[in-house]
Amino acid sequence: MIELRDVTLAYGDHVVLDRVSFKAEFHERVAILGSSGEGKTTILRLILGLLRPDSGKILIDGQDITEHSESQLRDFRMNFSIVFQEGALFDSMNVRENVAFCMREYTNYSEDEIEKRVRSLLNRLGIEDAIYLMPEELSGGMQRRVAIARSLAGCEPKMMLYDEPTSGLDPLTADNICKLIKELSKGDPPGRAGFIIVTHKVTDASKVAERFMYLRNGNIIFDGDINALKNTSDTELRSFISELYAA
Amino acid sequence: MNIRDTISRLQDFYILCFRAPLGVFGRPFYIRETIEHMDYMGTGSLFIVFLVSLFIGMALSLQISAELSALGLKMYTGRIVGLSIIREIGPVAIALSFAGRVGSGITSEIGSMILGHQVDIMRVHGVNPLKKLVTPRVISAVLMLPVLTIIGDAVSLLGGYYISVFVSHQSGSYYWSQIRDIMNFKNIFSGVIKPFLFGYLISCISCYMGLSARGGAQGLRKATTSAVVMSTIMIIISDFMLTRVLLLVLGERV
Repeated sequence: MIELRDVTLAYGDHVVLDRVSFKAEFHERVAILGSSGEGKTTILRLILGLLRPDSGKILIDGQDITEHSESQLRDFRMNFSIVFQEGALFDSMNVRENVAFCMREYTNYSEDEIEKRVRSLLNRLGIEDAIYLMPEELSGGMQRRVAIARSLAGCEPKMMLYDEPTSGLDPLTADNICKLIKELSKGDPPGRAGFIIVTHKVTDASKVAERFMYLRNGNIIFDGDINALKNTSDTELRSFISELYAA
Repeated sequence: MNIRDTISRLQDFYILCFRAPLGVFGRPFYIRETIEHMDYMGTGSLFIVFLVSLFIGMALSLQISAELSALGLKMYTGRIVGLSIIREIGPVAIALSFAGRVGSGITSEIGSMILGHQVDIMRVHGVNPLKKLVTPRVISAVLMLPVLTIIGDAVSLLGGYYISVFVSHQSGSYYWSQIRDIMNFKNIFSGVIKPFLFGYLISCISCYMGLSARGGAQGLRKATTSAVVMSTIMIIISDFMLTRVLLLVLGERV
């Protein structure tokens, strides 16, 4: 389980997160909503130990990781995998090398075995034909798929973290990515690998998540399911999720 | 930037300088990456080193022979050109060219990986960015800069020879005999030891600047500029300090 307890973080004078607290099980499908610059991505980076909070605690399975060294954090990070906005593919490597990255670092697989596993993953995500393309030759949707394939290669994350996975994509491609995200978290809790998705696209979040949080001015001002979200009395939040009513 | 930030950045830099070379002593060994960087830094820099060295050698020879001929001593051109090139100008000039070409490349490459979250991806997947990104670059720079310096020195001496013989009309064999005279342990050692330090400094500074890049394209530009400026300053300062130490160690009186 992930728990953020009174987490505060500021960049200089700008307070991004102000005593933020929440808990999430690994099998949950959580969406963190909010406008740009509200600290959504910062929460993901804190969970992974890529940032340290100014105050507060971050507990993974009951253990506070805020004081852990980089080598201690490596074990905790194995619980997660992340897909960053725009994919964050290694631009000097082709698709095959990107997906094989973890296998090369951690396994003694032969080249044939790596090829077989990479092809199998890409085939599952419907992009096997792109295996020898470079990242700049891929469309936005394909880049996200490759990033998802890389995040699944060589590890079995308990929880996936998605940072704006559909931003900048056309509605059809965004819909395909949502289906893929949902497909990957299929199964029954508690064995299921859940996810936290941070996005400002409410419709996409509603397609995949079952729990929603809304971040504003460094605080979580809403935490609930889709029905509670639609029935919120907060006028600003109602305005933010207006496309849900239209749908 | 306040004092606390400055101290914290200096501390990070020293840690990087200390840990980067130690990366070669533990698994995983990034041999393929190291060879690729050696190729980029060494083979890729040959043309610029050749060009810079040739013209430095020719300019130096031209200037020195003009001054010495006024004193009737132009037969010593080879000796003075050789000493200046091997002990001082060669290592410094090649290091400055190396900082401009390779140092800026290292910073922009690592910086864009930072800004594109590629380094975060490495950390999430349990890969140590220092070992994966910094160690191979530092090792490659430390190994390749001395090689480039030796090649550059040879090209400079050839440039000096061309000016001495075909412009200043001196004896070619006498030029080379003077070069042979100065090719003793002290001079060669002084000239060859410096590029090891310069390569280490350039690569550590450039990697650090790349890893600390923040703030989009503008931040990357700032980091790259800082890397080249800091490398240049450190080359000049460390050259002076090393020269002083070498004179002392080799027992040469000033």
